[in-house]
Amino acid sequence: MLNYKKPLSIFVAIFLSSELFAEASLDDDLQDLLDMRSEIKADVGSRSAAKNFLESRSPLDVITHTQIEDTGLTSLTDVLRYFVAGFNAPETSVADGSDHVRAFTLRGMSPDQVLVLVNGKRLHTSALLHVNGTIGRGSSNVDLDTIALVSIDKIEILRDGAAAQYGSDAISGVINIILKGFGHQNEISSHIGLRNKGDGRGFEADGFVSIPLEYDGFLNLSLAAKDEEQTQRAGEDKRLTPASVKTHAGRPDAKNLNFVLNAESFSVDDVTIYSNALFNYRESEASAFFRPADADVSIASLYPNGFLPIIEAEILDYSFVLGARGKYKEIEWDLSNTYGYNEISYKLRDSMNYGYGSSSPTSFNVGELSFVQNTTNLDLKYMLDKFELAFGGEYRYENYVVKKGDASSYTNGISQGFAGYRPENEVDTSRSNYALYIDGVYSPIDKLSLEAATRYEDYSDFGETLNVKLSLGYKALEDLLLRTSISTGFRAPSLAQSNYSHTSTFGGKMEGTFSPEQDISKALGAKELKAEKSKHLTIGGVYQPTSATYFMIDYFLVYVDDRIMLSNEIGGATASLEQQTILSNYGVDKARFFTNAVDTITQGIDAKLTHRFEFEDNSKLHSSLWYNYSKNKVDGFNDSKMSRSNSLEQIDRIENGQPKHSVRFLNKYDIQKMSITLNLSAYGSYSQVIDNQKYKFKESWTADLDVAYAFTKKFKIALGGHNIFDTYPDKFSQPINNFYGQDAIKPYSRYSPFGYSGAYYYARATFKF
Amino acid sequence: MSKFMFYLFFLLMTTSLFSYESENKIQALIVGKIAKFITWEDESSDTFVITMLHNSFGDTFDKVYKDKQIKGRNVEIRYITDIKDIKKTDVLYISNVTSTELDEILLKLKNTNILTISDLRGFAQKRGVVQVYFASQKPKLKINLISAKEQNLQIKSSLLQIADVIKG
Repeated sequence: MLNYKKPLSIFVAIFLSSELFAEASLDDDLQDLLDMRSEIKADVGSRSAAKNFLESRSPLDVITHTQIEDTGLTSLTDVLRYFVAGFNAPETSVADGSDHVRAFTLRGMSPDQVLVLVNGKRLHTSALLHVNGTIGRGSSNVDLDTIALVSIDKIEILRDGAAAQYGSDAISGVINIILKGFGHQNEISSHIGLRNKGDGRGFEADGFVSIPLEYDGFLNLSLAAKDEEQTQRAGEDKRLTPASVKTHAGRPDAKNLNFVLNAESFSVDDVTIYSNALFNYRESEASAFFRPADADVSIASLYPNGFLPIIEAEILDYSFVLGARGKYKEIEWDLSNTYGYNEISYKLRDSMNYGYGSSSPTSFNVGELSFVQNTTNLDLKYMLDKFELAFGGEYRYENYVVKKGDASSYTNGISQGFAGYRPENEVDTSRSNYALYIDGVYSPIDKLSLEAATRYEDYSDFGETLNVKLSLGYKALEDLLLRTSISTGFRAPSLAQSNYSHTSTFGGKMEGTFSPEQDISKALGAKELKAEKSKHLTIGGVYQPTSATYFMIDYFLVYVDDRIMLSNEIGGATASLEQQTILSNYGVDKARFFTNAVDTITQGIDAKLTHRFEFEDNSKLHSSLWYNYSKNKVDGFNDSKMSRSNSLEQIDRIENGQPKHSVRFLNKYDIQKMSITLNLSAYGSYSQVIDNQKYKFKESWTADLDVAYAFTKKFKIALGGHNIFDTYPDKFSQPINNFYGQDAIKPYSRYSPFGYSGAYYYARATFKF
Repeated sequence: MSKFMFYLFFLLMTTSLFSYESENKIQALIVGKIAKFITWEDESSDTFVITMLHNSFGDTFDKVYKDKQIKGRNVEIRYITDIKDIKKTDVLYISNVTSTELDEILLKLKNTNILTISDLRGFAQKRGVVQVYFASQKPKLKINLISAKEQNLQIKSSLLQIADVIKG
């Protein structure tokens, strides 16, 4: 049994040394007031004006830019993992494109069931479709690392279904990234660091400049350049004599250039013109598995000692928003257009195509994926004393393109490490949809607010959908808010899921991923993809006894019908006679395709306690404890060919591939010119299935520490570390094969919620002006 | 475990804190605070009057200034929805007006010895005297010195040192 006496006595000592609580009053002098932090407001989750996030009818959290600065992190994905219990973002390797665009999940649900907004406008997803055996397999998510952290004012996280308000994807939650606006200080900073094993060196330089315009308008520019070296945590390759480490397993080599613009211009006639633009260029590389020289088909003349194919991903991502808002009589209006583009070009080096023998190229262009999303919004708002009405429409156009690779990457065999996209994989497809919504909030008395929202959408591919949301907030006591919401939602199948194919030939027969539209898929039972449908219930509350303390707890229940997944691989010994005949007729050996495969149930709770102390010596402690429990269960199979027994890997990935329990315990202590930030993260157990065998991994925890000293009000230096105690996840419990297993090339699970690269130590300097 | 949680909660609820105040309350407090740095032509009245034009603060000002004094004078909060209804006041807090309306209001108030305050964007540049705004969760002040002079208000240099000053 754990002994709590010691920690309890520490708490007592800390708390007894502190002074009594006092709210801001007229007794404070003006400078104290100007030094005081105000409430945190959030926009997401309601069409009303921004309100204190603790008064939201739906569970909501906010991460501010000052909090982000104290983490010492340089990636938005890592920032969210640092703060948010229930946000999962594993670090994969030897998983093709998934090594370069990290998947993330909320509440253990699919990465494409999270809607991401920037300044309230929908952000496009990556063109990448995760098709390897990683968390998020079968989905395309927003690439969060396309946004420079220095440009962010705050991040709002809505933990509730909101498709009736925002449309597709808002199933497990909505992340709204608010860019720095008026009045922010200019700054430049640099960051250097490395892993305690000496690799994984990181360097970042960034800057933010705000140019004031007339009437408090602004033109804000942010620039960040980052260079991250790979980490190497692979085990020995037992196929070699003597066994040695060849394959790369760890974080990839990545170079990022981010640029962000955010601007608002006010005119005398009360019309505000606004714009923001995000730009990211990334070069990232990671390896495939090493090919030994004695492999059956290797060519000794090219690689006498074997070879390690390196996959290079060149990512170009940008978006541009232009809008205007104003007021006409009593109606506030906002008209905007958002254009987003993501492109991934794959190149391969240090590889070969065995079919070309010793004349094989060693470098290949293996193909390109791109995705365009253009969204036009008109939002109108009308406010009366106790009633707020928002209504509007949206028109969205999407285009998805796959371009083939070099002919040598898919003819006479394939380029090793990443088969080139073939001509028949090429696609250039589009769709459009329009939406109409109405959203009303009624507050008959101060204590009660009711919201009803409905949204109709019509997609050119799968058709119509109508969703509703009802929510209620009731202040049962002055310091206690009770809240609940019920809603329906949906997620449109992505263009990638409906159209992606990636096939290759072995021994004259095709295999790989086919689109549901292809004849072979239809013959095997594929149907046109339909939207995932969801139902949500959230119930909970916020207890806020003082303005320095709050405790929130919320239960959530989400039903998702027709979740889209990749089918099992059909072929080989497990194929039925009928399937074998179909495959043979099409000259295909193995096939898989996207299908509305399963129904799922997700339920759990979020509980968060935050408290701020001020001690007699004017030092301050801000502590926050957040616990999340998320349980995902496959509740039904819509694809008659899938079952719990024949799809163990896929089903177990959904149900047990991510921690059900997670905790974040964040503490920031400010004393004079020094700030000390300590974050403890606990991750529950999880499991991975390989070759139909389930392997379990125990719970673990990590600690992050940042110690910053402000030499002046403008100049600060910080030293810190992530995972400072060098925690590693469990290795596989036993040998499995040459590639995976306790002593194999990949000894750690790719599902590890905090990666497997160990401790990282850094220094950073920030100058504000 | 339950004992530990009990003690923890007890301590959390009873010991010291520092707070994040609402923007409304901070703005209400700032009005009283900056008044101490400003001298009006006539401060002989027993009552310090704050007039709220298109009040967007609910009852915050009433709560903050109930039984309180500014510059040794009792505080009275008045609410109006039309600038025509304004009576003798020390401070006019302006909310919820359009840019055109604001221009008209400020023109009308010229040389009236009234301290105009607002959180409307561009307020100070449009010849309001004191603008309050929030950035990075912190309140900030912007003061138009020309407007203050036009209103015959004397502002202590110590206030100007902690505010952004517009001299045009």
